[in-house]
Amino acid sequence: MKPPWVRPRAVVGLLAVCAVLAVGPLLHGDLYAHNLVTLTFLGIAAALAWNWLGGYLGQVSFGHAAMFGLGGFVAARAQISLNMPMVPAWVFGGLVAGLYALVWGHPTLRLRGPYFSIATIGVGEATRLVCTYWDWLTGGSSGLSLPMQVGLKYRLYWYGLVLAALAVAGSYVLRRSPLGLSLLAIKSDVDAASDVGVSSTRLQDLVLFISGATMGLCGGFYASYFSYIEPGDMFGFDRSISWVLMGVIGGIGTIVGPALGAVIFVLVRQFLIASYPQLYLGLYGVLLVLVILFEPLGLTGLALRLAHRFGYRERPDLAT
Amino acid sequence: MTVMLRAEGISKRFGGLKAVDGVNLSLREGEILGLIGPNGAGKSTLFSMLAGSIPPTSGRFFLGGSELTGKPAFRIARAGVVRTHQIVRPFSMLTLAENVMVAASSCGRNRALARKSLQFAGIDERRHEYPMRLTLAGRKRLEMARALATAPRVLLLDEVIAGVNPVEAQEMTRLIRRARDELGVSIVMTEHVMPAVMSLANHLIVLDAGKLIAEGSPGEIVHNPAVIAAYLGKAHAG
Amino acid sequence: MERFAELLIASILLAGLYATMAYGLGLIYGVLRIVNLNHGGMIMAGAYAGWWLHEELGIDPYLALLPVALAAFLVGVLTYGLLVRRLPRGAAGGVQSLLLLFGVWLVVRNAAYLMFTGNDQTVRTSYSTLAVPLAGALVSVNRLAVFAAALATLVILHLLLRKTYLGKAIRAVAQNPESCTLVGISVERIYMLTFGLGTALAAVAGLLGATLFPFNPSFGAGELLKSFVVVVLGGLGSIAGTAIAALILALVEVFAILVIPAYLTAAVGFVLLVLVLVLRPGGLFGQRVLG
Repeated sequence: MKPPWVRPRAVVGLLAVCAVLAVGPLLHGDLYAHNLVTLTFLGIAAALAWNWLGGYLGQVSFGHAAMFGLGGFVAARAQISLNMPMVPAWVFGGLVAGLYALVWGHPTLRLRGPYFSIATIGVGEATRLVCTYWDWLTGGSSGLSLPMQVGLKYRLYWYGLVLAALAVAGSYVLRRSPLGLSLLAIKSDVDAASDVGVSSTRLQDLVLFISGATMGLCGGFYASYFSYIEPGDMFGFDRSISWVLMGVIGGIGTIVGPALGAVIFVLVRQFLIASYPQLYLGLYGVLLVLVILFEPLGLTGLALRLAHRFGYRERPDLAT
Repeated sequence: MTVMLRAEGISKRFGGLKAVDGVNLSLREGEILGLIGPNGAGKSTLFSMLAGSIPPTSGRFFLGGSELTGKPAFRIARAGVVRTHQIVRPFSMLTLAENVMVAASSCGRNRALARKSLQFAGIDERRHEYPMRLTLAGRKRLEMARALATAPRVLLLDEVIAGVNPVEAQEMTRLIRRARDELGVSIVMTEHVMPAVMSLANHLIVLDAGKLIAEGSPGEIVHNPAVIAAYLGKAHAG
Repeated sequence: MERFAELLIASILLAGLYATMAYGLGLIYGVLRIVNLNHGGMIMAGAYAGWWLHEELGIDPYLALLPVALAAFLVGVLTYGLLVRRLPRGAAGGVQSLLLLFGVWLVVRNAAYLMFTGNDQTVRTSYSTLAVPLAGALVSVNRLAVFAAALATLVILHLLLRKTYLGKAIRAVAQNPESCTLVGISVERIYMLTFGLGTALAAVAGLLGATLFPFNPSFGAGELLKSFVVVVLGGLGSIAGTAIAALILALVEVFAILVIPAYLTAAVGFVLLVLVLVLRPGGLFGQRVLG
């Protein structure tokens, strides 16, 4: 009972990659690489979630750290004060973050393009400031510490794998389903979409919610991974920026582009942290400029161009 | 004959300006109603209100028995009143096929209807292309196809014929007539291209400065002094 | 009562800086319809330029205004000519130009970090700590000087836009670029010059701000948002509109200290921004074009 828009190749491919990644750590013993990949999974999930709003709907957010941080702190608090188990706490954090996204996002999405983006900078920064001094939730500038659990960091690898896989699957569904088509229509011309029956406002709210909720869940994951979070880092503008970079450089609006961007981002940062710690933002700035000027679909665009050279052609989606 | 679309005392005020002033309108089933008037008469504003793009300041309008006043555009579209746009607005990031698919699925129609709409409008062979590859005439056909893919009961055509060459204009006219005759769609059309409107419309209403100044058959309207005065100035009326 | 006068004067003086800062952003948006996300970067660059000239060459910041403005003008012209010009105009280019200029901001920020480290800096001159009595309150000479400089800048700007041919051309392009080509105005040249002018204003505001506040390479996001609040509140119309909007922002920020803790006053600007954008996207004075 598979919907017509799901390609078997994609499902098989995703499952195969997941299987390899799931078994991988048991075959090699490199703890450093293991943890790096865990963080990459997190980056993939977050970047893809950002892309649902920024790429599919075309509303670029510079303030997504607001949801990441809120979800993280809510999840941490829930575990500390309510003794909530880890994964339900993540989900709880995600739900709160998703609702928050709706609260500021619903009225703000009436703004188009650059106005919306500027507003998100404001939201991100305002959230950071308010939460930094909301002692109960965030512990103020000292942050919150979660009780350390032996072996948790190691096990989080597989949780991260599931998270990333779900995000990839979600991206696929969101883009290729009839819903995805409606989102693209909204992105092209929101009013014309309404004129032919697309419930633009509702769909935008939906994307806002799931993007924000997933971000919040990622925040919870992050909190569990590091066992310590503080507001300056969780809500930081630099953190919001990182997803913009992952999304745009990887391929904004594509299904897995941002995942690619996340992989590159994490790897490059690890490499640069050793030798040139403060160069990476500038490097990404240059990359961003190059992408915007020459290859709007970023690395994915480059990959597609290469594939076309070798004769690959996309099939028309609708077998009508 | 049943009345499909009915507007009572529809008005729109922008600040101090009354763009549309107490217009009454009745569209009967299977009929083409022409909406004409000089520039700035308020035709587009009236259109936008009927489509739900902007809310009326006062007045109401109905589709059959159900009131549509104040409903958001997408609800009105799903209820069966769909518009095309004067300046074409295709979904540039979607192929032609996808353009009509979105319309069809949003209004609960199947993809077969979407495909048929493309065929009806004569652009089916290019369905996997993007709108920017089409000429203006092609994009106007896409506007029609997209609207028709929603299986509307009332089609609001906003100057679909203006701006294309005479051959295309004739084709569009034929298309509109076929929509009424073959698909049973009731149509309100505004148009500057007089020959088209005169030959298509069963009934005309004329707007000037927001007010309805005349209505009747094309034959009657052409000789109506108030209409002539509105278009050409009072000197020519007598 | 004394406190009230003190706060009121502080607001007015601050408003001068905000107006200059905002006008740089508004000019570029009004003419090119582009949001210059490098605005914050250039404010920061202006601050560092002034600081460096003072630290290394002993040049008084107010004397450095002209050279810094000229240098920034050139930077703006280059930014437009090399980068922005390549993007499509209009709605399609909207988010793209946003991201492009954002990328430039990242580079500028990184460059500042490499050259000057991430530590806070300020510009301290021999007269930085002087204060004079005014209307019963003690006002720092610095703030008065900044206000005077900002006022002078705005007056020059006003004269430029109203009285010179260039100014009229800029306003014409803001209203109707297509028609401008018909009367022999090179629209691309105007875009380039306007971008330079807007950049110069940002740098000037940054330099002036450097004498008042500490800054570091991450400086700029807040200033960008405040500029945006002023532009959206005041509309793209006259300098007077911008000035009034700047005053409103300054008043809200300064007097907010009376009701909320000091560390949250920065959030005031942000919240105001979101509120204004959502409630009155047309600005309080309506979206008029320049002039």
